[in-house]
Amino acid sequence: MATEQTLRSFGCEQNLLSRPDGSANFTQGDTTVLAAVYGPGEVKMSEEIIDKATLRVIFKPKVGLPGCAEKFQERVLRNTCESVVLATLHPRSAINIILQIIQDSGSLLSCCVNAACVALMDAAVPMKCLVSAVTCALTEEGQIVLDPDSKQEKESSAVLTFAFDSRENNVITCSTKGCYTPEQYQESLSACREASKNISSFFRQAVEKRMSKELKVKT
Amino acid sequence: MADSVGKVVIPGDVLSEFRASEKTSKVALGPGLRQDGEEVLVTKSGILRHKEPNLYWIDCHQRRYIPAKGEDVIGIVTVKSGDVYRVDIGATQPATLSYLAFEGATKRNRPNVKVGDLVFAKLLVANKDMEPELVCIDSGGHSSGYGVIPANGGFMFHTSLNLVRKMLSPNCDILKFLGKNVPFETAVGVNGRIWVKAKTVKDTIVVANAIASSEHMTNAQIRTMIRQLLDKLSGF
Amino acid sequence: MKEVPMSTCEREFILSAIRDRKRIDGRQTYDYRRLKVAFGMERGCCIVELGDTKVLAQVSGKIEQPKKNRPTEGSIIINLELSPMASPAFEPGRPTESGIEMNRILERNIRDSRAVDTESLCIVAGEKVWCIRADIHVLNDEGNIMDAASIAAITALSHFRRPDVSVMGEEVTVHSPEDRDPVPLSVHHMPVCVTFAFFDQGEFLLVDPTRSEERVMNGRMVVGMNMHREICTLMMSGGMLLVKEQVLRCSQIATVKVAEIIELIQKALDKDAQARQAGEKCGFAESVPSNKITTNKKEPTSVDTTAAAQHASQVIQEAGPVDKPVSNMLVQAPGTVQIGEGLVNTWQVDDEDMESEEDSTKKTATNGREAVAVSKPTERKRPVKTVSHAEDSGSEEEEKVVLYQGDVEMKSTEEPDATTLKQPTSSNSDKPAKKKGKKKKAAQK
Repeated sequence: MATEQTLRSFGCEQNLLSRPDGSANFTQGDTTVLAAVYGPGEVKMSEEIIDKATLRVIFKPKVGLPGCAEKFQERVLRNTCESVVLATLHPRSAINIILQIIQDSGSLLSCCVNAACVALMDAAVPMKCLVSAVTCALTEEGQIVLDPDSKQEKESSAVLTFAFDSRENNVITCSTKGCYTPEQYQESLSACREASKNISSFFRQAVEKRMSKELKVKT
Repeated sequence: MADSVGKVVIPGDVLSEFRASEKTSKVALGPGLRQDGEEVLVTKSGILRHKEPNLYWIDCHQRRYIPAKGEDVIGIVTVKSGDVYRVDIGATQPATLSYLAFEGATKRNRPNVKVGDLVFAKLLVANKDMEPELVCIDSGGHSSGYGVIPANGGFMFHTSLNLVRKMLSPNCDILKFLGKNVPFETAVGVNGRIWVKAKTVKDTIVVANAIASSEHMTNAQIRTMIRQLLDKLSGF
Repeated sequence: MKEVPMSTCEREFILSAIRDRKRIDGRQTYDYRRLKVAFGMERGCCIVELGDTKVLAQVSGKIEQPKKNRPTEGSIIINLELSPMASPAFEPGRPTESGIEMNRILERNIRDSRAVDTESLCIVAGEKVWCIRADIHVLNDEGNIMDAASIAAITALSHFRRPDVSVMGEEVTVHSPEDRDPVPLSVHHMPVCVTFAFFDQGEFLLVDPTRSEERVMNGRMVVGMNMHREICTLMMSGGMLLVKEQVLRCSQIATVKVAEIIELIQKALDKDAQARQAGEKCGFAESVPSNKITTNKKEPTSVDTTAAAQHASQVIQEAGPVDKPVSNMLVQAPGTVQIGEGLVNTWQVDDEDMESEEDSTKKTATNGREAVAVSKPTERKRPVKTVSHAEDSGSEEEEKVVLYQGDVEMKSTEEPDATTLKQPTSSNSDKPAKKKGKKKKAAQK
């Protein structure tokens, strides 16, 4: 088992679209996902919840029309975001999160979760904590590969994605494909947990860089 | 907490050392902060600010307006239904504005408000559970600047909430600099809407663009930007 | 969510500015906003930014059967998606009227004008042709989606490379990109749309309207033209009347604009081709400028997982042994039957009779089960015991014909597995009776 794993280079750009309340472009290696958030805004009467905000996730693939797989991804992302957004502060309103895949080169689900988190932060939607997600693939020999690209994902026997909260590093979401033993699961979980700390600190750096001008103005 | 003031915080950060350093027993938590048992939890990412004696809040970049009581906003009248006007202020729900909430309005003497008009009003009722309510008079019954904004000549544009707060803060000079060279009239709504009116259409466009582009600039940069704009203007 | 309504004040101001030959963003009447074209890593992927309006296009190809009336031609599909990201008023799902209108204009512009040669997309006449699909997603709507989408579509089609195909008699091989270089589509010409917005019943016109100008305009005209000054599309909407001089003037302006735009597209395509030749990394991840304060980048980082691995093994040890999975997972409940894998037979069929009856046509599933039950008695142990007693009374009271059989026999004997062989013998005597009746009897016992 390798003790030194590498995460691909990641980057994010905030506030790049003029219409949405918050937007973010998150890249992990070559995988790029663009997320936009509208809200809290008007909600349709049929979707209204009287004591909470209604969260809606729309996941748009690059080619073709959205189908069942996309609906499933939407559900996973919605559940992840619902556990961190303080929806009770905005009852009877709607928060829409729209994700567009720009480039899929592996680790798509974790890239989507990270992009959605940065977009929510950019839109100043109140949140309990931030979410950081990491994907890992298990090779045929049982090796763990963190942040796999599409070739590594294709050759793997299982792909596991975990999303952690930034406060206590507890698991918020776990989504897996393939077969693995409980030991492999625990190893992947611990490895991803370590890696997610990098992503949380990256979020912090991104916000600090963005606010750097204000920090200089008002000390 | 005292040492986090002026630093960047992100949602999930916990601030818990404030009690020890405060003389007064109460601490007021402004936008972006929330009490979670014994701790104070940060809910929005931004810079933690402090105002004596005991007010803390987070300065964050936000575009969507969340109504709060007592704020002055610019709204667009969308529907006239019976006794109330429905006004869009950019929040989750349209606000209501009663026709009696204008200076000198009585049941016989209705104010001259049409659909599509701009109104500068104050939020009387604004919380997360109720529809917001506006009034165009202050507590004494005088209009004091509130009311319908005349539609001739002026221009309204949308900006982020930060820019509006920056403009309304006493140490921002953009309005002063601009005003020295190009006389203009302005109404600033905390919901991210700014109305400007200068003598000519050209001047109005210049003022609007100058304000809109000053969001990320420091005072010095604003000064240079305005000077450049005015040079170009005089060249016309 | 609804769009923010437009106030009379804004409307009046924009109109008076236009009458004064001025635009809110300081442009001239015939000026386009800043146009930027960026390419992705995949072939056929590009993002076009016209001012703040942003559009993403992706071209993909599939091999399909051709249409019956055109057996030697491939097909081109253009799909314009007004993403809910672009505006709060766009809803996902069925496209709106304006979305369909724009989609049709794009199709007419590119497909009907034969910008891309469809004959060259044929592989085997009548059987296999390439079906090229262009998906265009609008990411941000700040006016003039039409032009941005048409630029994105034709740029992506020119950028796209389809896999090379070789036909040897009956055999068709599609070469992977590693085998043979992918082949470009044959694009004859590049039609680009230019949108004109009219105000005051056609008296004033603007090129490349912004969103607020679009909301105030009376009507618009879209002229699709290529480098050779050929008009590929012409569409006017809005219910206003135009003088023919206006139409001619617009087409002349369009000539100039289209030339500029196509020049820019060519430059971008050439730059990208050079970068790919030189082996440089290309894609959106690269084109993100790192000097803006809103962007942040981090190089590949290494993660030390030794501590994690130790922690994981600790967790496993603390968790304790996992139950061995049962190799035979059968759910036995009333009303269920497994063909070929039933419970122990309780119909007291004789052992010797069993063997002789095995080939008999009268054999039903029950008999089959019984045979199986005999051959694997040990595996029936636990499941049979636990379920039987619970379901007993249920089947008796209802007098239902339950395929899963009788536990009455189970009840009477302590070790059903041991007596598996015995029971069939005792119930054998009842066999001549009708099957159904027999079941009932067994249940009622």
